[in-house]
Amino acid sequence: MAARRWWVLLAVGALAAASVAGAGAAPAVRFDRNIKVGVVDTYSGPPAVFGNDALNGFRLALQEINRDGIHGARIEFVTRDERFSPEIGLSMARELVLQERVDLLVGTINSATALAISAFAREQRVPFIVWISKSEDITGARGHRYVFSTTENTAMAGKALAEAVARRGFTRFWLAAEDYEYGHRVTNSFWRFMKRAKPEATLVGQTWWRTGEPDLVPYLTQILQARPQAVFFGTGGAGMANVLRTMQVIGFAQRVPSAIHTAIDVTVLRPLGAAAPEGVFGTTDYLYYYPDTPANRKFVQDFQAAYGSPPGFPAFHGYITAYFIAEAYRKARSLDRDRFVEALEGLRIQTPVGEVEMRACDHQAVLPMIFGVTRRDPGFPHLVAGDPVVLPGRDVMPTCDDVRRAREQAR
Amino acid sequence: MDAAALLGQLVVGLSRAMILFIVSAGLTLVLGVLRVPNVFHGSLYMLGAFVAWTVAEAAGFHPAAFWLALAAGPVATALVGLAVERVLLSRLYHREHLMLILFTFGVMLILNDLVKLLWGPTYRSLVPPPSLQGAVTVLGVALPKFNLVLLAAGPLVAWGLWLFAHRTRAGKVARAAATDRDMVAVLGTDVSRVFGMAFALGCLLAGLGGALVAPTTSITLGMDHSLLIDSFLIVIVGGLGNLWGALVGSLLFGVTQSVGLLVWPQFAVAFPYAVTAAVLLIRPTGLLRSAW
Repeated sequence: MAARRWWVLLAVGALAAASVAGAGAAPAVRFDRNIKVGVVDTYSGPPAVFGNDALNGFRLALQEINRDGIHGARIEFVTRDERFSPEIGLSMARELVLQERVDLLVGTINSATALAISAFAREQRVPFIVWISKSEDITGARGHRYVFSTTENTAMAGKALAEAVARRGFTRFWLAAEDYEYGHRVTNSFWRFMKRAKPEATLVGQTWWRTGEPDLVPYLTQILQARPQAVFFGTGGAGMANVLRTMQVIGFAQRVPSAIHTAIDVTVLRPLGAAAPEGVFGTTDYLYYYPDTPANRKFVQDFQAAYGSPPGFPAFHGYITAYFIAEAYRKARSLDRDRFVEALEGLRIQTPVGEVEMRACDHQAVLPMIFGVTRRDPGFPHLVAGDPVVLPGRDVMPTCDDVRRAREQAR
Repeated sequence: MDAAALLGQLVVGLSRAMILFIVSAGLTLVLGVLRVPNVFHGSLYMLGAFVAWTVAEAAGFHPAAFWLALAAGPVATALVGLAVERVLLSRLYHREHLMLILFTFGVMLILNDLVKLLWGPTYRSLVPPPSLQGAVTVLGVALPKFNLVLLAAGPLVAWGLWLFAHRTRAGKVARAAATDRDMVAVLGTDVSRVFGMAFALGCLLAGLGGALVAPTTSITLGMDHSLLIDSFLIVIVGGLGNLWGALVGSLLFGVTQSVGLLVWPQFAVAFPYAVTAAVLLIRPTGLLRSAW
């Protein structure tokens, strides 16, 4: 009798051991509900071009991800239009977290909104991933445990552009920018890194104009008269389109070398068509035609098939954001917010431009920057980045020590 | 600062002033004759630019269609203005000003949403024909050729408005109605028709400004914001309802900004507003005689 009982016990023990060993290979975890993402971004007004592009990239990735699911769950999302206003954006984020009970927040194009939501996310301990807005404060001075960024920021852009321009031997600069958060951030960053790369660089003068200024001819002619050796423009979106158009008409770039972050970007150059000037230095973190790798080609083909036009940089950010979320939940094996944050720290994923790491120390995605000069190309309906150079992310990002110092100072 | 630079900035500032004049002339005309502060004037300016772009696009951006496109903008806004005036606004003239502001504000919201619905949030470019692309060098400054068109358009519009006001019967009645509308009505003139015409003309000028500015800028939602505020300031500085006041105000605005850039580029944005404030401190009713 006793011997038989022993046999039964052994058999049960062996079965249990087998099932535990099997768990290492096949998921024993099954999420009991779907993952819900709250997206806050601008879907009306001029910046909606960027918001919609990011959302399209996000949706494309989710279709791929949800085919297999994550531990039996799918990723769902709801969107809210912040109308480019930090107040509206913050109340939308509040509603998504407190009423809709989303697992995490994603957004937005407006840096001021991103910073406002980030403070709320910290207080509520909700993960928040920033995918378009570029203020370096988001993962720099005002970064924290719950905020992440899957977009390049003004520190990276400023450093990449400053170093590329510094190599060309200019010393007398003019700064010209649009008077808003991003304009100030990117201009300050450019000049800070220019002084670091080239201490003898001097500032001839600076010009600031209002957002939506319709006629930039007086501003640009005045800069020509001051005769600087090179000009940096701190502007984006429709404002930058105005700068580029005016440059082309009065032949500005032929007379003074000019640098603008995202001047080589497709979302800017496509609507301008032939009205864009050649010879402008620019940087961006994503181009649909470069690098011409199988992974990038596949992403571009899928995106084009789904939405009828090639992806801009926001679409790329939306796409990798979805994969970061999916991989982090796969790794966390839990819907717990803190487990998700820990899983996302240091996570590496495969993207259309190669492997991208979510740096653990500041929660900033390590994205490469592409530097190029605008050029006509008969193969494209818009200007392209000529002579592109890829600057690896780790070379253009602030170091972990820089970030730690910035955060201590902010405190 | 040398003389050539100053002259160059003056020329550039003048072409900017001409757009401001065309738009604010429409605003001040409506203010003077109808006593209506038209808040959707800026939306019509934006609409004029979008309509011009659409017509040019429909013609495949053919150079010959460019002028047709520029004409289509103001025609469209005049029709929109006329429809709004005949159907709705004409029933509200006896109401107080606040009601009229609320009404035109409502139309502004509707028009802006309509533009968003029809054209979406992407910005557009309208490229001028090859003969007007590029720049000419005037006094050592590269001035876009198209800005020369603007420099000519401003005085032409001013001359046309003067002819209308002083040489046509409708213009004379409009001026009379601006001074004393009851007396004009007593004399047996259909004031309502004159009002409709003046309103449509004001809206035409908004659309003309938008169409003329379209080749020089990004055509986009929100392009009306800063212009609407500037136009109201110009109208107030010039004297409410006074066409020549709008011209003087526009010149003051455009030129202080471009010349201010030579003096203190970093804060040039503030110059026109500082001048506006100074003028209003000295002459609270505006530089020229107000029609109110």
